[in-house]
Amino acid sequence: METTVKTAAGTQVEKRRGRKKPGWKRLLIYIILILFAIVNAYPIIWMVINSFKSESEFAVNQFGFPKEFVLENYQNAWEIANFGVLFKNSIFICVAATVITVLTGALAAYFLSRFTFKMNKTIYTFFIFGMLIPIHATLVPMFILMRNLGLLNTPITLLFPYIAFHLPITIFILTSFMKAFPKDIEESAIMDGCGIFRIFWSIVLPMSRPALATVVILNFIYNWNEFSFALVLINDPAFQTLPLGLANFAGQFTTNYGAQMAGLTMSLVPIVAIYLMLEKEIVKGMTAGAVKG
Amino acid sequence: MQAAGKTKGAIIIGLLPAILIYSVFAILPIIQSFYYSVMEWNGFSDMSFVGLANFQALFQDTLFWNSVKNNIYVVLASVLGQVPIALFIALLLNRKLKGLKIFRTIGFLPVVLSTVVISLTWSLIYNSENGLINELLRALGLGGLAQNWLGDTNWSMIAVCVTVIWQFVGLYLIIFLAALQNVPEEVLEAAKIDGASEWTTTWKITVPMIWDTIIVAVILCIAGSLKTFDLIYVMTNGGPSHSTDVMALYMFNETFSQLQYGYGSAVSVVIFFFSLILIFIVTKLLGRKML
Repeated sequence: METTVKTAAGTQVEKRRGRKKPGWKRLLIYIILILFAIVNAYPIIWMVINSFKSESEFAVNQFGFPKEFVLENYQNAWEIANFGVLFKNSIFICVAATVITVLTGALAAYFLSRFTFKMNKTIYTFFIFGMLIPIHATLVPMFILMRNLGLLNTPITLLFPYIAFHLPITIFILTSFMKAFPKDIEESAIMDGCGIFRIFWSIVLPMSRPALATVVILNFIYNWNEFSFALVLINDPAFQTLPLGLANFAGQFTTNYGAQMAGLTMSLVPIVAIYLMLEKEIVKGMTAGAVKG
Repeated sequence: MQAAGKTKGAIIIGLLPAILIYSVFAILPIIQSFYYSVMEWNGFSDMSFVGLANFQALFQDTLFWNSVKNNIYVVLASVLGQVPIALFIALLLNRKLKGLKIFRTIGFLPVVLSTVVISLTWSLIYNSENGLINELLRALGLGGLAQNWLGDTNWSMIAVCVTVIWQFVGLYLIIFLAALQNVPEEVLEAAKIDGASEWTTTWKITVPMIWDTIIVAVILCIAGSLKTFDLIYVMTNGGPSHSTDVMALYMFNETFSQLQYGYGSAVSVVIFFFSLILIFIVTKLLGRKML
């Protein structure tokens, strides 16, 4: 009895406090948060705004909005850095690698999560070990391997390392998700005469939609942003992806700030757009990826 | 389900594509690097076996130790920068105030951007002539403090570390926020009833309750900053005069600029073990499972 009273009173006290939280304290919290937001976002905003300024305006007016919007920088970036090609390559590599990784990964996860066989645990551990491999330790041997296979500088070069190194996290996320399905799914399906692959395609895959969304987004962002393998395995401009093309462009035209900022802005737009649309999924995927990877 | 006859075949067919790609393009390179690391090879002529000579040369190279030192510097800056800032902001965000979602969105934004975009943007910000920082300093009448941030050995490492911290604070912020939301409200209310101030509640109850998450964040932070390569490659390529050189960069430059594939592979092997041992120690210390 006494406790009940106490709790009730406590809640009231708490409520009152919540309402009458001293104004200055709330203000201080907001000021700190706004400062944090400015530090976090302003470098990007600064870069985007200045990409629309002429060189002479950039020199004298860095902080304000452009007095007149200049698209010349974008034209320069598009022509000199060959942005059309870079975009096309990035989209192709990104989409192809993501689709193959998720499909092969889902298939493997299906068998690892739904079937019992002798090597099951070993194979699973073998895959998960991949999350511990520091990618940078493989740059040199990867270069030699790809050269021996005649796979340097081809349109599909980057697919191989991208798929291989993202299979572990994909399999990890999908296996743990598929494990939670009730056992009788397959049993009833088999009674109906469905084959094993049919069950995978028409039952397990559709049921895994939330986890599939997570791994698709995760793979897409990783592949879109990847730089080290591209740097080591590709030097033909025809097959370069956006990050590599951008880095090369900045290295060649070190003082053409306007065009650099225009190029950066263009490569930023798709990923920021995706982020704003799918924030919840992306945050979930990337923190899951980080916590395990 | 039991693996009988037909099922067994299906299992093999189903696992094969993933195992094949993964083995050839992720595991094989690691194994090969062990082989190449005991060879002397410029990448084109015949290889010759040199035993552990590459490792010997490596451990005697002051530039290698310099890169190890710089790597540790980046790790320390990340752990001491990212984790406290993220925790502080997460604690501020973990209350019922208006407009919190927008701070979370902005906070996580840098995490989804490509490292190359971030590096190039920050290179422009640090630009000695008309970068944002120097312009800001001049606008505030502090033009005397303007520096060649990335070109001065006194500042280059600090400048790089600031960017590293900026890039990943958002990741830990989100991880901490998720943990904070799992702290039962009754506990905090009980503390308030007992007259504990917000400060005491935070330090005596909230932080200890998410301690596990803080440790995980520290591990992630160590592992992540050990991998730093792209960012420094683009911003300074290890310069000026090796002041921002890290292990992966040292390996990259030794291998591809100096055409020492054997030696570069030896550095790869060292990085591989360095990372594995570190993860092993940390997971053992915390009693967590490694895999």
